Amino acid sequence: MEGLFSVFTVELLNSGIRLATPILLAALGGAICNQAGVLNLALESKMLLGAFVGILAAYYLGNSYGGLLVAMVAGGLLGLLFAFLYHKYKVDLVILAIAFNLIIVELTVFVMRALFGNVGSWSDPSIVRIPDIEIPFIKDIPLLGPILSGYNIIVYFSWFAVIVMFIYLYRMPGGRHLRAVGENKSAAETVGINAILLQTLALVVSGALAALGGAFLSIGHLKLFTRNMSNGRGWIAIAAAMFGVNHPVGVFLASLFFGFADAFSVRVQNVTELPPNLVKLLPNVATLLVLIIIALRTKVALSMARRRFRAQLRAEEAAKPAEEPV
Amino acid sequence: MTPAIEMKGITKDFASTRVRANDHVDFSVEPGEVHALVGENGAGKTTLMSILYGLIKPDSGEIFIDSQKIRIDHPNDAIQHGIGMVHQHFKLVPSFTVAQNILLGMEPTQAGLLNQQQENELVAALAEKYNLPVDPTARVRDLPVGMQQRVEILKVLERKAKILILDEPTAVLTPQEVNELVTVIRGLSRLGYTVIFITHKLVEVMSVADRVSVMRGGKMIGTKKVSETSIPELARMMVGREVLLRVKKKEMQRGDVVLEARDISISDVNGLAAISHVSFQVHRGEIVGIAGVSGNGQTELVEAISGMNSLDGGEILFKGKIIDEASVGERRDMGMAHIPEDRMVVGLNLQTTLDENLIVSRYDDSQFSRYGFLLMKTISEFAEKVVRAFSIAAARPGEGIATLSGGNLQKVVVGRELSGDPAFIIANQPTRGLDVGSIEFVHKTLVEERDKGAGILLVSVELDEVMALSDRILVLYRGRIQGELDAATATEEEVGILMAGGNLQDLKYAQRADQQELRS
Repeated sequence: MEGLFSVFTVELLNSGIRLATPILLAALGGAICNQAGVLNLALESKMLLGAFVGILAAYYLGNSYGGLLVAMVAGGLLGLLFAFLYHKYKVDLVILAIAFNLIIVELTVFVMRALFGNVGSWSDPSIVRIPDIEIPFIKDIPLLGPILSGYNIIVYFSWFAVIVMFIYLYRMPGGRHLRAVGENKSAAETVGINAILLQTLALVVSGALAALGGAFLSIGHLKLFTRNMSNGRGWIAIAAAMFGVNHPVGVFLASLFFGFADAFSVRVQNVTELPPNLVKLLPNVATLLVLIIIALRTKVALSMARRRFRAQLRAEEAAKPAEEPV
Repeated sequence: MTPAIEMKGITKDFASTRVRANDHVDFSVEPGEVHALVGENGAGKTTLMSILYGLIKPDSGEIFIDSQKIRIDHPNDAIQHGIGMVHQHFKLVPSFTVAQNILLGMEPTQAGLLNQQQENELVAALAEKYNLPVDPTARVRDLPVGMQQRVEILKVLERKAKILILDEPTAVLTPQEVNELVTVIRGLSRLGYTVIFITHKLVEVMSVADRVSVMRGGKMIGTKKVSETSIPELARMMVGREVLLRVKKKEMQRGDVVLEARDISISDVNGLAAISHVSFQVHRGEIVGIAGVSGNGQTELVEAISGMNSLDGGEILFKGKIIDEASVGERRDMGMAHIPEDRMVVGLNLQTTLDENLIVSRYDDSQFSRYGFLLMKTISEFAEKVVRAFSIAAARPGEGIATLSGGNLQKVVVGRELSGDPAFIIANQPTRGLDVGSIEFVHKTLVEERDKGAGILLVSVELDEVMALSDRILVLYRGRIQGELDAATATEEEVGILMAGGNLQDLKYAQRADQQELRS
């Protein structure tokens, strides 16, 4: 029992926040697409692309920050390609997403093999992991300091992105127009709002954010690329966007939840003797539970409402027993 | 006087359907007038107005505003020339507030940020200016339809439109809301605004318009002063032949009770009463009309009777048997027919053929299938019979139905439902979106079924329809029966009062007060 309690430490919080970061970045991207009415199921492949392009650029440029920028540009371009195929040729977004999710996994392996001869994974000693930064003053605050400080720039950027996206969506005309496009496209278009532009913007931003999340995996957290490195995080991000009702703050909390579930399973493996394969399933079980909750929410609410109504009817009936039928 | 708008020789072909929607149409509107544009569905009136508003590009033709030739390629051009459109299906964002909707696309900002307070004040001032009160902070999805329409009108006025196009504005309104709208239109016309009013309800044309233009089959048939024409003349111009505007009905031959609702209650999605303690009977050989503004429990009532949803309280008897547990299929086998509200989604499968749509309710009948196989030949003979009996134009057995017009699609539904000699028919909005000719057909067919001895429950938000067809009228208000009227003696005013939640006592007092005022 003592072993289980020793799981909850500051390190657990730290690693939860780190593991939440790639999910948060991709989920923010998913959320802005949902708000603009363009379903983005390709977060997975955009993350993977970002992870691969990020480490590749870091290697060739000799600068990991440069790697991050190139990854974001690559993700943004993929988003732009999506927008182009969707608006110009009316290609279904779901089909596009499936196609890219399948292609990018194999494409990264193909390029990795062509360039370096490796199939499963690749790394190079010259690649530098993005360094962690201690924030002055904040790091000295007791208790909160160690939780809020000591991460790399991608983690801070993801928090910044939450705030910026909130202000854009709910306090600026552009964001309001974007939400109007997502909810009723023709209403927005009849007042002269450029729906195509805003949906393109959402897809580009979402591609860039997801790719940055991917680059976090390859050069922010490790310094290594492996086949299918995103490993389902893009799909978890889609769940996080739904769980957070597409609101930046909600998405932030939902992503933290998934990040902690991930960190928790890693810690439990270290300190207990539960079978590791079982514990590793934990984040996936958490995702499954969340998706079930999302799916059942309306249904359960409906049947609860109905039950309430019937109880009320019975109560009315009981209240007037003596009355003769007319 | 120079016309406010003049459209000359407008022609538009739709290549995909090989239809000439507008054929050298000339149309002109005087400044400050209320001009009604009428025609059946597919007559081309919406196409003409979409061209004027820049939603569709004409193949040829010219548009003049105040005698100046202009090009309108996009709604933005139209707005710039002072043309605004209130669409039939509102272009509103439901989760946004009234102010956010009215100012959408033209929000004032401070340092790039929105200011909710300022927006609300702007909209309040706008509403005051035009005497169209609204609550700027209310969410549009919580507003009744009449209010939503007011938001749309304010949205157009805020964009400095001088010419307003209203596309079938009364289709979704209650009689009271229609009266309010007429007042609003009259008021705008007095302020110098020009109003174009698209409709196919001729009564409204007579009450609100100065002039009326009639279209048929893509051509402009003519323009008349309202004071110099009549409803029968306009109907003739619209349809191209004499139309029976009122269904001829024989004396009712009332039989036994066929359907009875006993104290039924049904919950809505929030656990509140959609239908609350409702009881009524429908006899053979009578049409019982359920009047009421849409959203007062009609959908839930119809779903419960047809078996698509369960009851929460009370019971329903069909031919004297309690059918609360019976499935849709079992109810149909007992002789219940259902003409649903939405023919596109519930009534028909547009992806399949006429034959399959006609037998979908009875495919496992021994008449149509044996040993699990469909008897294709019998089925197509049957389809042929139905097509002839219900004169479903352009439909051929074995072919798809997706290209049929709304009127013909509804005939397919009516044909399927009535070909089994049902004892009881639920007709939910049976003529919604149909033109005068098709309405005439559906009404005639329903009355024939009644005369053959079927009990009919007619649910409709169209007051005229309920008044014209019913033998008895029940008015549904907030899930309760607000009143029952004998259709032979009921007045439109009485039904309207009940629909708005009032009672007949109020009306009598009001009339007495009026008379006393007159006497004194």
